[in-house]
Amino acid sequence: MLVSKTWLTRATPTLVLVGLSLLISLVDPRFLSLDNLVRIAAAASAPLVLALGVTFIILMGSIDLSIEGSMAFTASVLAALVTNSSGKGLELGLLAVPLALVAAGAFGAVVGLVHVYLRVPSFMASLGMGFVGIGVATVLLGGERVSILDQNIRALSLHRVLGVPLAIYIAMLMLAVAWAIQNHMSLGRHVMALGGGEDLAAVSGVRVKRVRVLAFTLSGVFFGVGAVLACARLGAGSALIGNGQLFTAISAVVVGGTSLSGGKGGVFSTVIGVLIVMVLNNGMIILGLPTFIQQGVLGAAIIAAVLLNAPVRSFVVVK
Amino acid sequence: MTSSIDLIETAIRDRRRFLIASALGVGYAVMPGGLLQNAFAATDYSLASSIRSLSNAFHATWNQGAEAYTKTVDRPYVALITEGNSEKGIADIGALLAKTGGKLVLGVDPNDSPDARPIVESVAKAGGYVVTVWNKPADLHPWDFGEHYVAHLSFNGVPAGEQTAKALFDSFGGAGGIVALGGIPSNAPAIQRKAGLMNAISATNGKVQLLDFQDADWDSTKANNIVGAWVTRFGDKIKGIWAANDGMAIGALEALRAEGLAGKVQVTGIDGTKDAVTAVKNKEMAATVDWNPRWIGGMALSLGYHAATGKFTPSKEPKSHREFYGTGVLITQRDVQEFWKNNIDKTPAIDWNDLWGKISGPIA
Repeated sequence: MLVSKTWLTRATPTLVLVGLSLLISLVDPRFLSLDNLVRIAAAASAPLVLALGVTFIILMGSIDLSIEGSMAFTASVLAALVTNSSGKGLELGLLAVPLALVAAGAFGAVVGLVHVYLRVPSFMASLGMGFVGIGVATVLLGGERVSILDQNIRALSLHRVLGVPLAIYIAMLMLAVAWAIQNHMSLGRHVMALGGGEDLAAVSGVRVKRVRVLAFTLSGVFFGVGAVLACARLGAGSALIGNGQLFTAISAVVVGGTSLSGGKGGVFSTVIGVLIVMVLNNGMIILGLPTFIQQGVLGAAIIAAVLLNAPVRSFVVVK
Repeated sequence: MTSSIDLIETAIRDRRRFLIASALGVGYAVMPGGLLQNAFAATDYSLASSIRSLSNAFHATWNQGAEAYTKTVDRPYVALITEGNSEKGIADIGALLAKTGGKLVLGVDPNDSPDARPIVESVAKAGGYVVTVWNKPADLHPWDFGEHYVAHLSFNGVPAGEQTAKALFDSFGGAGGIVALGGIPSNAPAIQRKAGLMNAISATNGKVQLLDFQDADWDSTKANNIVGAWVTRFGDKIKGIWAANDGMAIGALEALRAEGLAGKVQVTGIDGTKDAVTAVKNKEMAATVDWNPRWIGGMALSLGYHAATGKFTPSKEPKSHREFYGTGVLITQRDVQEFWKNNIDKTPAIDWNDLWGKISGPIA
């Protein structure tokens, strides 16, 4: 009996996703058309990569609120390195992407260093650095929304291979990378160990400080990929490119079943969570729900997800 | 006989008293109303703009206009950024009023309508001069406040929404279905522009149908995702997309581009930002409306500074000079080349002393 209960809890997000999709398609069958599924997947690419990045931090028991600032910073670096509408871009083409990712990783590393060596709680360190990122981006972009004219960058979102935009393939690749790190690399194991019990991990020989900084750097790189995808999709670098992404990413991680206190969950839970959030968003428009109801539905969905995900609620310590 | 311990305790007590007294003394001296007030308080007016953010083109250009104006009068200038936080906006203004001793000329775009009242009251109480733009409650009027609330200027969103809607309908022959993206529903511009759209639709007598209306909260990414879902729901029934601002229009345009529909289904926006005007030039957008934020930023300060330096007395001006609509310029594919030549290739010269030349009418 205990086995099937645990299985049921772990499978709940997937069942919710399938149930929601069937429900929406009952009302409007076009929801399950291939075109629409591709659209949902394309819209979910950037949020998925962002959520994968933040999953590692949440697994560790910390939180990373710097998504919007990190995205703004990376977007401004990317826009500055390619042909853009201000005429002052460096025109590096696709070479700009790895450079932007290095910048994003450096940003994440700074967040990690502030958190670890200055002993600032991750909540505050990432929040503060997030604002710094937006500030730097505003200065670099001069307040403008700088259009990216380089077609190679735009192709990351617009070009289709086998009818599917490149962005989806890139998101799949990042998912594979995240899965490999989580299950097959020591960094992933150590992140889980820290989340499950940091004191135990420390006395077992895990180098806590090093793991923390590396985890933040890694998530910084993921945020950078998300920013590149978002810039390609919207055709511009802007300091506001991360608007709303923090809420989407963290609620996706929570809805997917990863515990906010760390140690439980993983990248596949995050994928389900992101899909649930995007299906809800897309489905509500297809059903024609008014805007003010959509916000309420999203909020109710997150609470419902937490309720469904905790296996034995009376034993859970709620903070 | 006093022991050494007593001596030490006395010394510590005295030193503590000395330190506390010095701290109090210094604090009193630098406090507004203290000894050094006359030395540090501005002997003449400082200028400031309070705007939402420098990350959107509209307010960034506003700030450039404000800076251009303050250069002509050679006064100190600061930009206060609210980042969409009403409390921060009000608090920042209060702090600046304290720092300048009330000698402040403020041009403000309140984050939301209710913010205008506390801002105006705090500026008036401190003796500064304020001009509000865009958002204020309907029952708050400059003439109720004497000299210090100089003017309120806004732009009538109704004709803007109506004219862009008409340009959109023309792009597909005046008959078909459209979808529309609205701004934050409680913002006055969002309400006005939507009303303009509805006027234009009812004027077609049923030839144009509104398939759906969604609030994208002035945000590009939200607009992008909504349009994606609309393409599923309505497919090729959508003949055009009306957006209440350029940010959402560009987001919608990129969603259309991902479906291969850019240029085939036209989009309209409002605000006249550079990337929207570029899209109109490339025939991907049907129209936008330019408010000239450079003019707004400088003129808000110019009105306040002219009042502060006594060049005119606000209470002697007619009501139409204290609450008025400015003029928006409709840009369609027909006149975009001209607009580009005059406003983007070169920075237009603005006469800052022509305070009321661009009024298009009193606010009803």
